[in-house]
Amino acid sequence: MITIPPSERDLHAYVDHQLSDADRQLLETYLASNPELAEQVRDWQRDAQHLRAALGGALQMPANPALDPTVIRRHLRGQSRRHFASAAVLLIAVSIGGISGWQARQMTFPMPAPMADAVQAYRMFATQDILPADFKVEQSGDLQGWLDRYFTQANRLPNLQNAGFKPVSARLLSTEQGAAAMVLYENPQGQRISYYVRPPGPQNHLLERGGRRDGELQAEYWSGSGYNYAMVTQANSPAAQLLQQTTRF
Amino acid sequence: MNDLDEQLRELIPRMRRFAVSLTRNPSSADDLVQASLERALSSWGDKRAEGDLRAWLFSILYRQFIDSHRRGKRYARMLEFFTGRDDAQPSVERTVMAQSTLEAFELLPTEQRALLLWVSVEGLSYKEVAEILDVPTGTVMSRLSRARQALRQLSEGEITSPSLRILK
Repeated sequence: MITIPPSERDLHAYVDHQLSDADRQLLETYLASNPELAEQVRDWQRDAQHLRAALGGALQMPANPALDPTVIRRHLRGQSRRHFASAAVLLIAVSIGGISGWQARQMTFPMPAPMADAVQAYRMFATQDILPADFKVEQSGDLQGWLDRYFTQANRLPNLQNAGFKPVSARLLSTEQGAAAMVLYENPQGQRISYYVRPPGPQNHLLERGGRRDGELQAEYWSGSGYNYAMVTQANSPAAQLLQQTTRF
Repeated sequence: MNDLDEQLRELIPRMRRFAVSLTRNPSSADDLVQASLERALSSWGDKRAEGDLRAWLFSILYRQFIDSHRRGKRYARMLEFFTGRDDAQPSVERTVMAQSTLEAFELLPTEQRALLLWVSVEGLSYKEVAEILDVPTGTVMSRLSRARQALRQLSEGEITSPSLRILK
């Protein structure tokens, strides 16, 4: 409800169409007999009209494709992927640094154990589920095609279907040797095997076919078609046996 | 989600207009809109209060602008401290006389520009504006009253630089 004579707030509410019908009529009647006040109200109304007209053109700016919600969403996803990727690089770099430092002190092996990054990646992604997948088979389908985009003419993904393991997801990582990918296989019991591929690095360090135990994990590794590979799983499990059979071809 | 994108798309021209009126520069305005849309899309769902989508977007945009402006001001003060000069002249100290309503509008301080755009141009309710600024409705009305008077006086060319400073 407004008061008569109207307060300044009432007058603004009138200009902004925020009064009830009854109040509006009351105020219009009052303004009709108070020309000076009516003039002030008209000035405000005119300013508002001018402003609407002057700023109307700004609605007609040519569209900027960068502002489309779809593009913004993609940008956001890219950002989080980059954050995750750099987190992965950091973790792997730190742990490999730790391993080689420890080994240098031991004065036994000057080089880190073969494919230590593959084992480290398995710990991060398969054991601890720290980071989300870049690629999920059930959502995106053709995993081999996705992999081929990053690693041309690399070995085909091993088929472990007979043993009950299917590829479920994949991640891209960057390592000192270049971009790496890790594909995670899972069987219905939830056991996991990783398949890891990356370039041999600047020294073109190719590997003899071999295997090693690293803590609770078993890693098999080899080279072929210009890349280094590793498959990693829990040691002393049926999956570990399967791994040895699969990779000794 | 697609429904939301559709609603956003319709509101983008209004966000851009608001951003231009704040930044007075179309390209930094689009940067501001982009940052605001990113904020809106990533906090969609958990932070969005009930109510008008447009008012919510305006409030995100306004806050982003105020924050970046504050950072800019701090930076300018730091520059001034180290170099002994003030590179960022505040617009309110321009001595230009306003020739039209739009020119007068552009001479107003940030909050008055935002208020007039929300109420006079976009037709938001006092209550919605009060929520954006996080102040009582009565405060919105008295600030709006001051903004209108300032716009009026500037349009009539009554005011020059010294009294502008008092207005702020």
